[in-house]
Amino acid sequence: MAGPSWIAWTFAGVMIIVSAYCLTRLAASWRQNRPTDHRVDGIHVLMGVAMAGMLVPRLRVFWTGGWEVVFAAGVAWFGWLAIREFRGWPTVGGRPGHHLQHVLTCGAMLYMYLAVATVAKAAAGGSAMGGMAAGGAHFRTLALVLAIALLGYVVWTADRFSSLAPVAALAARSAPVPVLAGAVAGGGVSLADAGGEGAGSTSRDDGQAPARPGRRAPLSPRLAACCEIAMGVTMGYMLILML
Amino acid sequence: MATQAVDARARAGWLRGIGAVHEEGWTAPDVRRRLQLALAGIWLLDAVLQFQAFMFSKGFSQMLGGTAAGNPAVIADPINWSAKLIADHPAATNATFAFIQLAIGLGIAWRPTLKLALGASIAWALGVWWFGEGLGGVLNGAGGPANGAPGAVIIYALLAVLLWPGSRDRAAPFIAGRFTGANVARVLWLVLWGSLVYLALLPATRAPKALGGMVSAMASGQPSWLSSVDNHLGTFLTSHGPALAVVLAIALALVAVSVYLPRPAARAGVVLAIVTAAFIWIAEGLGGMLTGGGTDPNSGPLLALLALAYWPLASAALSATGQPDLVVTPQSESPEGA
Repeated sequence: MAGPSWIAWTFAGVMIIVSAYCLTRLAASWRQNRPTDHRVDGIHVLMGVAMAGMLVPRLRVFWTGGWEVVFAAGVAWFGWLAIREFRGWPTVGGRPGHHLQHVLTCGAMLYMYLAVATVAKAAAGGSAMGGMAAGGAHFRTLALVLAIALLGYVVWTADRFSSLAPVAALAARSAPVPVLAGAVAGGGVSLADAGGEGAGSTSRDDGQAPARPGRRAPLSPRLAACCEIAMGVTMGYMLILML
Repeated sequence: MATQAVDARARAGWLRGIGAVHEEGWTAPDVRRRLQLALAGIWLLDAVLQFQAFMFSKGFSQMLGGTAAGNPAVIADPINWSAKLIADHPAATNATFAFIQLAIGLGIAWRPTLKLALGASIAWALGVWWFGEGLGGVLNGAGGPANGAPGAVIIYALLAVLLWPGSRDRAAPFIAGRFTGANVARVLWLVLWGSLVYLALLPATRAPKALGGMVSAMASGQPSWLSSVDNHLGTFLTSHGPALAVVLAIALALVAVSVYLPRPAARAGVVLAIVTAAFIWIAEGLGGMLTGGGTDPNSGPLLALLALAYWPLASAALSATGQPDLVVTPQSESPEGA
């Protein structure tokens, strides 16, 4: 009793599209020197592939233990960055909590893989989401809590969607090269701020290239937000299947 | 100006994560917007719950058909018709339901579609209240506060009305009164909580062992911790049944009238409402969400969210302009902006 397979295929298809798109963002950023958050795009590539494989076993490309290591490392890495943020270390900057969302998503992935392994063992060969839906996972309450947190993050992202400038506007703004941070007017944010660096900071420790003269417009922030939303909804769906 | 710069940099901290740049004119969510976002989150939760395997089985249509029992024919016949339709096409109908709820949730969260989504949520909620909940058991006498009556979904519609983003806000002592006005909002509160008082005093709740049995029945299929809580609570309620139903009714009545009391008492009433909602939610077994068969979180969280919308504001926040009736919300500062 796992529901119609076309729904799982639909969500898996969306995840493959997200993963492929984030891969093209990384490639475009590298080839065209356009700013993006490489860490987030990178983890989205991995998550998209992993989630598609969980939803449709035929799409698996990596073994479960390997994914567990990947997402455990993701939790540790983003967790470390979040701690640095909360401590206000100057090389990272930004608002505390910026990385917590990625700790959450990596943690949810790790939880799902561990739960799948447990249920699969119990069901002696049961696979992926179908096995979870049929047998239920351990720590169901945690699955619900994670799903609620992810959906909250989806709502938060969707609320801020309108505040993200379209690429055309970003390109227009980037033409005269508004580089120096702190040039904020009327509630807007300069391109340098968007690039993630404080005034005078040139550290690349947060995974982003520093804003500099001649830099092109960032890759579409709205499409990046769409990826976040699609990924959050799909992950919420997968967690709910585990109840 | 300095505050604006700090605020902008703080926002940039998050936006940096997706390489974004803020457009001018965007404002951080105010209290009403935050309540709207909470409502959006609950709609999204409903949507993903609707994707559960159980909803694609015959059990879902049977569950819907079961709500027709005891209702007048004019109510029951359409319920049976819709249950049959869903039973004949479970995958298509249920997936449609799930995607509609997903669209409503995302629509409320995305500012340009806020009004459209709230309007759709009202229509959808009224439809589900009839075809999916049998009017919440109000007419068949089987409903009680501990089993979701008068219907969780009707509270979605009520919240959509009370949190509607009007271009001209009325001065009201609480957020819920900004669109409808304080008096209408108070009447709606009184009717809702008053109906809960009435339902708590019906035999379905007040009869010996009725309330306890209702709560104990929710323990089935739950995780051990919740099952244990519901079983113990059910046992306790069974041993003190009718008296505790009356206590519950008194608490609900205090909540119902609190909205007409001075601010300190009104605040106490809202706190009591939230505590009562938490009790109801536990008694409902968290809406059965952890059993794999829950379609929504049931009425507990909705009642708590509604109570927050009635939290009495400080007098300074009633009307920034000092106008006695209308408070004009400038579009550039309105988080709703729609």
